[in-house]
Amino acid sequence: MPRSAAGFSRPPAASKTGMSTDDSNANQPETLKNGFVSRYVFSSDHKTIGLNYLWLALFSVFLAMAMSLLMRIHLAWPGLHLPFLSNLGNAPDRFAALTTLHGSLMVFLVLTAAPQAGFGNYFLPLQIGAREMAFPTLNLLAFWLTVASLFGLTTTFFLSPQPAITLWIVSVAIFCAASLLNALNFSVTTIDLRAQGMTLPRLPLTVWAWFINAILGALIFSILLAACVCLLSDRLLSTHFFPLLNFVANQRSGVIPNAVPVLWQRLFWFFALAEVYVAMLPCFGLTTHLISTFSRKPVWKERLVVLALCGVGVFGFCVWGQHMFSSGMNPFSPLVFSLLASSLGIPATILVVSWFGTLWNARVQLNTAMLFALGFVSLFLSGGLSGIFLARHDLAAAAAVSDDFVTGHFHLVMGVAATFAILGALFFWFPKLFGRRLNEPFGKLHFWLTFAGVYCAFMPMHWLGLIAHARVLPSNVAPSVVAAGSSIHTFITVAILLTVFAQGLFLINFLWSLFRGEKVAEYNPWCATTLEWSVSSPPPADDFGVTVPVVYRGAYEFSVPEAAEDFVPQHLAPEQVVKARKSGE
Amino acid sequence: MPGTTAVPDIEIVVEDIGGGGGGPTPPPGGGDDGDGGGDDRNRRRKWSPSPKRYSTAITIGIVSILMFFMALASAFIVLRRGSDLWVTVHLPRILWANTGVLLASSFTLESARRRLFLADASGFHKFWLMTTALGFLFVAGQLVAWRQLVAQGVYIASNQASSFFYIFTGAHAVHLLGGVGALLFVGFRKFEKTNISLPAAAEITSYYWHFMDGLWIFLLALLYLGK
Repeated sequence: MPRSAAGFSRPPAASKTGMSTDDSNANQPETLKNGFVSRYVFSSDHKTIGLNYLWLALFSVFLAMAMSLLMRIHLAWPGLHLPFLSNLGNAPDRFAALTTLHGSLMVFLVLTAAPQAGFGNYFLPLQIGAREMAFPTLNLLAFWLTVASLFGLTTTFFLSPQPAITLWIVSVAIFCAASLLNALNFSVTTIDLRAQGMTLPRLPLTVWAWFINAILGALIFSILLAACVCLLSDRLLSTHFFPLLNFVANQRSGVIPNAVPVLWQRLFWFFALAEVYVAMLPCFGLTTHLISTFSRKPVWKERLVVLALCGVGVFGFCVWGQHMFSSGMNPFSPLVFSLLASSLGIPATILVVSWFGTLWNARVQLNTAMLFALGFVSLFLSGGLSGIFLARHDLAAAAAVSDDFVTGHFHLVMGVAATFAILGALFFWFPKLFGRRLNEPFGKLHFWLTFAGVYCAFMPMHWLGLIAHARVLPSNVAPSVVAAGSSIHTFITVAILLTVFAQGLFLINFLWSLFRGEKVAEYNPWCATTLEWSVSSPPPADDFGVTVPVVYRGAYEFSVPEAAEDFVPQHLAPEQVVKARKSGE
Repeated sequence: MPGTTAVPDIEIVVEDIGGGGGGPTPPPGGGDDGDGGGDDRNRRRKWSPSPKRYSTAITIGIVSILMFFMALASAFIVLRRGSDLWVTVHLPRILWANTGVLLASSFTLESARRRLFLADASGFHKFWLMTTALGFLFVAGQLVAWRQLVAQGVYIASNQASSFFYIFTGAHAVHLLGGVGALLFVGFRKFEKTNISLPAAAEITSYYWHFMDGLWIFLLALLYLGK
């Protein structure tokens, strides 16, 4: 790998540069405040808040993973005495609580918080050349609302069902408020705080993804908040927004057992289907960024990728009826939603083609970050293919016979794929976050074990769904196929055990590298192009010091023929490129 | 704690040649090559977050709030159309007076901004405080409407129509109180030490206030036609 270019070889003096004074609170680094609490707990610095979100996500992911482990063991060996499942009340209630909490933590606190609020808060200002988020105090408020939401969600597990449900709704409403504040902050920061020269075409794709995601979040979290207000009102004030009996009376007999008030379904899915893309959009940006950086090539058809990200946002906002094919909606609606959901294939295909186009004939650096990015592509493709079945209303109605098919699909395409993107980003940005590297051999072992584990866990889940479907059809399905269901359950559980074990390796690697990992001396160990690599690792509290960055080029100028090295940083002036080339000659 | 560093010393930079907002690429010559070149001076500037961020924020905030109320409104329409047992809530007459108060507040707000434009500080403050008072009066009027309904035995849990009435008016009042807070902030804040000017703050507040005004008209129409 070529060493860092002139643009990044700033002397260490840069890290002790001062900061400019400013008359607004938005621009006040908190460097002079001593004490742990003021510096790390109540700091409104975007980097501290970003890191705090990542800590929160790390805690949540391990908690939720432990829950999934309990659930899988219970499914494979129901007779086994398990903590939390058998001790606290009766098992079915506990199992339902565990499922709800696992999903809530993973979706809200991990998949929504980590790639957007975590990495976004830390790196958005750094990548666009700003020194802070647009509204640091709101940012801090959003973080603590998220903490309150996590506290509420986890507390629900120890309460009896009725108060637990109320508390869960309150916690989700609080999370909505936090997400709305985040969405506002991200949108405004991207629109108004870009450095000079950072025009829209020059924005890194990570920033594009965070921005589109913020707009989408500002729209859909309002819907969920409204739904939560109505639901809470029903529970606490005895209002009648979601009258169960009215709904049941109007439904076909086949759907009554799973009856949920259709109005709630509409409001919930308006949020929840778009939420899938809220989790995925930043991951698309992160993956594209990693693939380009470690392929040492510009993003193939970069502007088309931006359009594709916009397309994901727009279509993702419109497909809310996709999960309601069997809810008794207007007969023409499934066709419309099927078309809309299938249309998502267009931007998704553009993204995949762009990733492969970037990789084509590239000098790929297969480090752990890149492996996770490629793993994301693999999982997104595999999970996306089963999504085609669910986008068709006739096939989806069939698959709805068993939840396992849907569970397998969304875990592959949303849960695990997004986690791979988050892990890839963590391996990529770890040197910038902590000034040390994560251990690469350990990381690669972690990747391959996880990659094998998740495929072994979630592909068979699709088969379970198909087997369950076969059971209810009057066809001649071999009894051996049907009987295979229990063996598959055991196999999935073993695969989950392997995956969780691999995450233990990751945790060891993470903690060890945090304090004992190889120190990173240079600013830009990956020879990347974006602005965050132009400052020390970790970045100074005032990010860029007195030198406000100026941007001269796009974010993916790799393998530029005239350049001295195989990359040209965004902030490198044209004459500096010439100078670097001449000094290289 | 790993991950952040502290800056040991502070250097005050007073040069300010603007910035922020992603303008075009500057002409060549502003490079920072780390060699201490003279052009480095061009890159030294005070970083100041763009004041435009407030108006952008209020625009996005308005869209977000609109989505919240659209969700409630769509719920109202769906339940109204799907219910054969819809019990009508007779809207208290004071709502019309309240609407007049709110419309008047928008008028006084614009009058205040006009006075500000004409550099008439006392006129501005007079109309601005009048707007604030009308805002409080509107909220008080809504409370009276609630009490009138309660006196008729119409509670939030009485039927779906009453549930929507209380939720619509309550949610709108909460958002409007946010606007009243902004009016108070602009009315009493000294703007010398902030990076937003008084006219800009007044303009942003007016966007929100007029939006609250329009939103109330929409909700009232929905409740009236939904009878």
